[in-house]
Order: sequence, then C-alpha cells, then structure tokens
Amino acid sequence: MLTDFLPILVLFLVAAFIAVFVIVVSSLLGPRKSTARKLAPYESGMEPIGPAITRIPVKFYVVAMLFIVFDIEVVFFFPYALVFRELGVPGLIGFGVFFLVLIAGFIYEWKKGALKWE
Amino acid sequence: MTSFPLLSIVLWLPALGALLLLLLPRNRDALYRQVGLMFTVATFVVSLGLLVSFSTPAGAAASAAAPPTMRLLEQLPWIPAWGVGYSIGLDGVSLWLVLLTTLLTPIAAWASWNSITTQVRYFQVLLLLLETALIGVFVSVDLFLFYIFWEFTLIPMALMIGIWGGANRMAAAMKFFLYTFAASLLMLLSIIGVYALHRSAIGATQPGFGGTFDLLRIVADLRSGAFALDGNLARLLFGGFLAAFAVKAPIWPFHSWLPDAYSEAPTPVVILLSAVMSKLGTYGLVRFNLTLFPEAAGWAAPAVAVLAVIGILYGAMVAYAQSDMKRLVAYSSLSHMGFVVLGIFALNGLGVSGAVLQMVNHGLTTAALFLIVGMLESRRGSRDLAAFGGLWQATPVLGGLTLLVVLSSAGLPGLNGFVGEFTIMQGAYSSPTLGWPFLAFAVLGVVLAVVYLLRMFRSAFMGDTLAETASLRDLNRQELAVLVLLCLPMVAIGLFPNLLLVSVEEGVAGVMRGILVAVASR
Amino acid sequence: MEQIQIPPVDLAVVAPLITVVGWAIVLLLVDVFFVPAGQKRITGYLGIAGLVMAGAVAAPLWGSDSSTFGGMLVLDNFALALTWIFLLIGAISMVIALDYLPRQGIEQGEFYPLIMFAVSAMMLLGQSANLIVMFLGIELLSITLYILTGFAYPRLSSEEAAMKYLLLGAFAAGFFVYGIALIYGQTGTVQLFSTAPGQESLAEYLGRQTFAAVDLTLLLVGSGLVLVAFGFKVALVPFHMWTPDVYEGAPTPVTAFMSVGTKGAALAALLRLLDMALPSLQPIWLPVLATLAAVTMLLGNLGAIAQSNVKRMLAYSSIGHAGYLLLGVMTVSERGVQGFLFYLLAYSLTNLGAFAVLIALEQRGEAAWSLDDFAGLWQRQPFLALAMAVFMLSLAGVPPTAGFVGKFYVFMAAWEGGLGWLALVGMLTSAIAAFFYLRVIARMFMQEPVRDVQPQLFRGLTLGISIAAAGTLIFGILPTLLINVVQQTALAVGR
Repeated sequence: MLTDFLPILVLFLVAAFIAVFVIVVSSLLGPRKSTARKLAPYESGMEPIGPAITRIPVKFYVVAMLFIVFDIEVVFFFPYALVFRELGVPGLIGFGVFFLVLIAGFIYEWKKGALKWE
Repeated sequence: MTSFPLLSIVLWLPALGALLLLLLPRNRDALYRQVGLMFTVATFVVSLGLLVSFSTPAGAAASAAAPPTMRLLEQLPWIPAWGVGYSIGLDGVSLWLVLLTTLLTPIAAWASWNSITTQVRYFQVLLLLLETALIGVFVSVDLFLFYIFWEFTLIPMALMIGIWGGANRMAAAMKFFLYTFAASLLMLLSIIGVYALHRSAIGATQPGFGGTFDLLRIVADLRSGAFALDGNLARLLFGGFLAAFAVKAPIWPFHSWLPDAYSEAPTPVVILLSAVMSKLGTYGLVRFNLTLFPEAAGWAAPAVAVLAVIGILYGAMVAYAQSDMKRLVAYSSLSHMGFVVLGIFALNGLGVSGAVLQMVNHGLTTAALFLIVGMLESRRGSRDLAAFGGLWQATPVLGGLTLLVVLSSAGLPGLNGFVGEFTIMQGAYSSPTLGWPFLAFAVLGVVLAVVYLLRMFRSAFMGDTLAETASLRDLNRQELAVLVLLCLPMVAIGLFPNLLLVSVEEGVAGVMRGILVAVASR
Repeated sequence: MEQIQIPPVDLAVVAPLITVVGWAIVLLLVDVFFVPAGQKRITGYLGIAGLVMAGAVAAPLWGSDSSTFGGMLVLDNFALALTWIFLLIGAISMVIALDYLPRQGIEQGEFYPLIMFAVSAMMLLGQSANLIVMFLGIELLSITLYILTGFAYPRLSSEEAAMKYLLLGAFAAGFFVYGIALIYGQTGTVQLFSTAPGQESLAEYLGRQTFAAVDLTLLLVGSGLVLVAFGFKVALVPFHMWTPDVYEGAPTPVTAFMSVGTKGAALAALLRLLDMALPSLQPIWLPVLATLAAVTMLLGNLGAIAQSNVKRMLAYSSIGHAGYLLLGVMTVSERGVQGFLFYLLAYSLTNLGAFAVLIALEQRGEAAWSLDDFAGLWQRQPFLALAMAVFMLSLAGVPPTAGFVGKFYVFMAAWEGGLGWLALVGMLTSAIAAFFYLRVIARMFMQEPVRDVQPQLFRGLTLGISIAAAGTLIFGILPTLLINVVQQTALAVGR
C-alpha cells in the first residue's frame, strides 16, 4: 500500500536535494564581491525611491477580494459550458441555483457600495 | 402501604409554603415569618401522623434475604429510561429522623424571628426548601432521588450561611459547599458504579433489563445472591459513599469545614446544620454503606472506628480549649458524632440501634445547646465565656434548663444521652469487629464530655456575678415554651427509651440482615 | 451524445438546510434594500422567524433515515436533534443580540444573516457523512465566525481576536485537508459509511481488513491530523491557546454562540467520524482521546480558577466542558451519543444564559465583567442574580439543573464504556470547577455592591435569559422529556 507512494517520496527527496545543492554550491563556488548597488533592494532595475513598505489604500484590497471571489466562481462556468447539453435540465436547474446565489452576492455588494471607487 | 400519600404531603408541604411565600406582597416581614412558622408547624403536625403506621409491628420479614421493610412506600416512575423512580418510604431508622427534622424546623423558624431581620422573606423560603430537602434525603429509597435531595440541601444551607452569617460568612459558606460537594461527587460516581454493575449483572440473566436505581431492588438482589458487590471494586465504591458521609457527619479528619460553618451560621441555621444536617451523613452510612456493602463495611470497620474514636477524643479536647461557646458546642458536636459513627461500625444490632437513637438524642440536645447559646448571645452581645459569670442569679430558669440540657449531652443516666451512648458502647464491646479498646476510649470520651460541658456551665452560670450580666433578663414565655418543648423528649427518651427503640430496632434489623449474612460467611 | 446522470436529489434531506441558507440570502438583500439604518432589529426579528420556520420544516422529518447527494448528506434522528439544538442556539444568540448591537454602537444588519449562515454550517456538519462535506461545513462556519468575531470594529480587542482566530483557524483547516488527503491516499474514499449497498466508505474499508495484515499508517496519520483540526475547533487542550483571547475579545453574543455552537457542531462531526466510520479502530484512538479529555477537563477548569474576569472565566470553563462532551463522543455506545446530545443542549442553554447575563452588565464601550461587578447583584437586579445562580449551578453540575443530568448522563456512559477512571477525573474536575462557579454566586448574594454598575435589562435580553433559565430548570427536574427524545437518536450508531 504505502509503497505506491514511493515515487512521490523519491520526487520529494530529489527536489529537496536539488534546492539544497544549488544553494550550497553557489555559495561555495560563487565569487563574493559586494557593492552598494548590489546590496540595494531590487526594483526592476529602477533607482530605489522611498521605503519598501508603504500603505496601500484599503480599496485595493476590496477590489482584489471581489475579483478573487467572482473570478473563482466564474471559473465554474467553463466546465459547465462544456457539458451543458449532456447535463440537460437537471444541470440547468442546479446551475441556475448557483447563479442565483452569485447574483445575490453581486447585488448585495453593489448596493453596499463596494463597487464605487469614491 | 396506603394509598393516601401521607409521606409525600410531609415532604412537599414546606416546599409549597416556600412557593406561597414568593407570591405574597412586598414588605410584609411579620407576615412572612408567620407563614413560615405556620407551614413548619403544620408539617410537624402532619408528620405525627406517620407514627400511626408504625403503631403496629411489622410482620416478620419474609426471609433472611429480604430488603429493609419500608412503610408508606410510594413509587412512581420518574425517568423510566434509567430506571429512576420517585420512590419514598419510611422504616424505623428514618422515621425518627424525619420527626426530628419536622420538630426542629419550626424551632429554627421561631428562632429566626428575632435573629433574622434582613431579607426575611427569602430566609423563610430557603428554610422551607431546606426542610423539604432534608426530609427528602431521609425518605428516598431511590439512589438517584436520594442524590438529588442530598445535593439540594447544600444550596439553601450555603446561601443561609453566606447571606445571614457572621463577619466571615462568605468564606465559611464557600468552604462548606465545596467540601461537601467535592465529597458528594465521589458518591455520585459510586452510585453510577453500583447502577452499572447491577445492570450488567442482572442483565446477564434477564435480557432487556434496563437497570434501576431502586435501592430496595438492588438490596434484594444483593441478598438473594443474584448480584454480588465484592472485591476491591466494591471497596472503592464503598469508599465513595463513605467520603460523602464522612464529610457531612463529619468524621475526623474531614471536619475542617465544621468550626467555620458552625460559628458563622446564625442560630436558626446552626440548629438545622448541627442537629439535622450532620445526621444526613450518619444516616447515609446506615442506609447505604451497611446495606449495599456489608462485606466492605466489615473490612473497613476497624479503620473507620479508629477515626471515630479519634474524633471523639479530639473533639472533646478541642472543645475544652474553646472560650467561644458556639465553637465549644460545635466541637462537642464533632465528638458526639464520633459516638454515632462508632456505633454504626460496631456492625451489630445493638451498636447501630444505639447510633440511630443517639442521632435523635444528639439532634435534640445540640439544637437546645445552640439555641441557648443564641439566647445568651442576643442578651449579652458576646459568646465569649469570659463575658459571662454567675448567670444563675439573674436567670434561674434558663440556668435550670441549661443544666438539664448539659447533663443530657454529658450522658447522665435518666436522660436521653445516656441511653444512646450506653447502647453504643454495649454494641462496640460485643461487636465482631471492634472490642474493649474502643469501649475504653469511648468511656474516656464521655468523661471528657462531662468535663468540658460542666466547665462551660460553671463558668457561665456559677461563680461571681459579673456586673454586666446581673441585669440580663430571664426567659420570656415563648423562649420557655420552646426550650421545654425540646427538653420534654429528652426526659421522655431517657425514661422510656422503648418508645423509640422498638421501631428503631425493627428498622435496624432490616439493615442488619445483610451484615449478619456477610459476617457469618467470613 | 450521452446524457450524464445526475444522481436524484432528495430535497427532504436538505429541506431545513435550504430553508436556513435561502432565508439568509434573501434576508441579506432585504436588509440592504428595505431595512433603514438604526432599525436593524427588524432584520433580527426576520432572522429569528427564519430559524423558527426551519425548525418547523424539520419537524415532520423526525424518524426518517435517508441520504442524498450520493450519500454525502444524511438525515437521521441524530442530525435532526442536532439541527434543532443549533437552531435554538442561533435563535437565542440573535435574541440576546437585538439590544446589544445598538447599545454597543455596532449595529449592522449583516449580523443576523451571518449567524444564520453559521447555523446552516453547523447543521451541515451534523448531517455530513463525507469528509469533504465536513470540511465544507467547518470552513463555512469558520469564515462566518471570523467576521462575527471582528464585528465589534473598531474595538481593538475584537479585531485582535478575529485575527488570532483567523490565523489558527486557517492553520487547523490545513491540518484537516492534509488529513483527508492521507486518508484518501490509503483507503481511496472520503465517505464515512455506506448509505447504499456497494458504496465504498471508510467503514466498509475497515470492515474488510484484518488488522494484522494491513499497514494502516497513512489512515492513522490522516485521522490524527483530522483530530488535531477538530481539537483546534473544539478547543481541546493542548489546542486551546486561542480560546480565552478570542472569547474575551469577540462581541458577547458571538462568544455565546461560538462557545456552544462551534463545539457542538465540530464534536458532532467528530462523533460521526469516530463512531460510524472508525469504531473498529477504537482500541487505537481511545487512549489518545481519553488522555485529551482528561487533560482538557483538568487544564480548562484549573485555568478558570485564576480568572477574575467572568467572561474569561467562562471561556476557560467552556474548554473544560468540551472535555465532558468528549466523554460522550468517545464511548461509541448509544448511551454515549444520548449523553452527548443531552449534555450539548443542557450546556448550550446554560452557557447562552450565562453570557446573556454578562451582556446585561456590559455598558456601552466598557465591560463590567470582573467579579467585583457581580458583588451585590442580588440587591440590584434579583432577576439577573437568580438566573445567573441557576446557570452557575448548572455549569457546576448541581441538581436540580439540566447540567447535573447531562453530567450524570455522560459519566454513566463513560463508566459503562469501561472508562471509570475518566469519570473519576470528571468528578474531581467538577469539584474544582464548583469553586469558581460558586464564587460568582457568593459574590452576587453574600456581598454588598463594590462598584456602581447599573445592569440594563431589555425585553429581548430578558426573554433570552428567561428561556435559558426555564429550560435549564425544566430539563433538570423533568429530564425524561428530553431523554425520551435523545433515546430515539442513537439508533444510528454502529451501523
């Protein structure tokens, strides 16, 4: 029984080995010459300006959350579209319920003003 | 067995009174007191009717294996799923304790007229509830029902100590509650154990048997041999029961809640606490430890008897050292309860009968003593022996009655204390498990009792009259009536012990049937 | 083109569940569109009505034993009894919140639909016969509770509590999923027991094995991880660290709801898992659970002794009570299941009542929960003091209260299940617990007021406290009313 999982264990060990190996080898073999530029935070090649930790308006989080919620739920539509005919009427009813719940949530957040930027 | 539920009426009448009190209009303290007294007196009067059913001796028990014969048995299903019933009944052991309760509660209610002045209504309510709970403990013949009443006595009692007690009342009430509650939980586990063992033992031969908490059924099965409680498990279960009763009685060294509770409680409460509540413990020993675990009782008897003797001597010596009269009486109570426990664990008819008799006696005398201390305290404003002296001059009637009570407590022949203690000592001497050493120490305890009681009497009532006590007034008519009411049975029992002994011995015989079998088979 | 067969859905099985969820969704919209700010208690009334209706919908289903969604959801008397208990918990929590929210200045209509969602999650846990559905229930319950815990925004303690709860809850969820994965890895199924012939399930799988022959390591490790997750949700020692902080910080009605609802639902699911899927492994898991229960009872009650804040004390005591509930779960007997249900209802009524009394003492913005605030309550508010005394006695297990009968029930089950020593531990810890419960009573009745606290009673609160106190006493004096009901639930065990 457990032997079925042996390949996974081997994979796990190999992955761990490679990770450790790369880090150890590069730190052993790599040249160490640190300059001010090298030590600076990496900002896509730009000159670093200001502190790295800044406050982001909470509205971004709301948008991000809404995006994730609806994005994930909309993902279910794709597989449904593929088997739309095969599922027939029961599938339509089931999906209708799902869609109604989604719509209810959407109406709620709209009314609550979560979609307004100001 | 009668169809008229006399016993239930005695049991629930006080509770009915409590309910009625709650419905009365506000701020009518005098009315509350009258209603409270009325209901307790009515309960006493009705309870006298219980004697009628004991006027004829019971027929001989069907066999040596019959359970205790209960009269006025009432059985109704309560939690049929568990085999719990509302089963109450009386035998010669519980009869006199019920009467003691119904006699002393009106006296406590009366004593509260002067000493309880705040929240009068609730005091009366709690007093009445306590009376129902106390009677309930004595009449239950169902283990579950018994436990309910047993625990329920704690709530009104702890509240009464804690609300109307002395300066240190809260700590005393907490200590009292926690000690007894913790020990009771061990008993609860034992009850569950007895139930489960009985259920599986009987269920093995009778499929579909759902178990029962009915004491009579369990004891009948024990004595017929259908169900056996022996070995180490039985001893552990015995210990669970013993723990609860030892704390309640209390048996030395489980007494440490006692001085605080007794000295903080107001007079009416301490009367019930010392005279009735402590009997719950010794009653439980007779009713449950002896009937359910005859073998384990024989095994444990010497050890418990040693504790009892230590309690007798320790209580007596500490009582001698007290200058506070209430504490003195409290420790004397510890000493006297040691006699009762000694009698029970003599494990013969004489000893146990003497113990039951002594429970009643001690209830009467100790209630009278606490009442007298309460009277002195309310007159003088102190309970310190040094604050009194030569009271005889000022209060000859009180002095005379006090002397009677003190002598009764000390065991003077012709008074009730002598009968009980003498029977106990006879029992201890002829006991299969104890013997003359226990007797010797018990006699020493009696001598010490005489010493500390007479010391108290001498220092308060004899000697030079103090200026402060010279003007104290003697008993008024009410006080006199109440004290005489308590003293009458003391004299009566002392002169005619058979009034009680006949029925007590009948009840004890029902308990002892199991012990005799167990002792004979050893 | 071949039709995909969707298994037929038996709507009766999910009728109470659908009622609660549907009502909650509609209520959410009704609240936003029609209920004006400042009158959000209307939403509360509607929410309570929904819960009552769900209870009525469930009534005719009593006695049924069916399943749907391919056996993932079952409906038996056990689930129905739980459903009613959870609906009652939800309704009482809403009743006591009606006045609490406006007084604390945190009145938001969403509170009531959120409670309903949480109730539906609890019902789902009671009905689930599948680890995935169980996970769904736990997550739905947890997410709503994270929000409810932080509902007293901007009070910092509330936010801190929500954050703590979220972090540990997410952690526990991880354990749960990983446990499910391992169990699936070994057995190839996540169904607890078979609801139809031929259906694969854990119970079936274990029934086929002879123990010596098979290496069950993965299943055991997986079950252990699932147990850890349940331990977090139920707050068993040593997974209880978050409990006092979260319970203290959360708004009081939420604490009341959480302390009884989460525990009840998670333990009910655990009961199904242990008693119906893994009973044959009892020799392995019983010592572990018995130890957990003993430690939980002991540390929960010992922790409560040190508290001078009554809300925190109740938090610790609720840890202890989880241990007592666990006694009923682990015995795998009819008596155990009955005892669990009885204890759960008794404890729910009592604890909800006790927290309701705390609400009465809580002023706007400041809490009055220290023991000193209880001093002399009897003279200021006899009703509150009396009710609190009943609740404290019931929690301590003193007759004649439902708490006593519940304890008696589970201890009896433990003894008959051969766990006499654990019953003894339970007795001893009850004695310890009596100390701190009694302390509250002593303060209320035997002391003069120390501080000037003006407890406020409103109609909703009075109603909630009265219901809880009446139930506590009635089921204590006439337990047979309830015993007859719970006796019909245990038939499902040991299928």
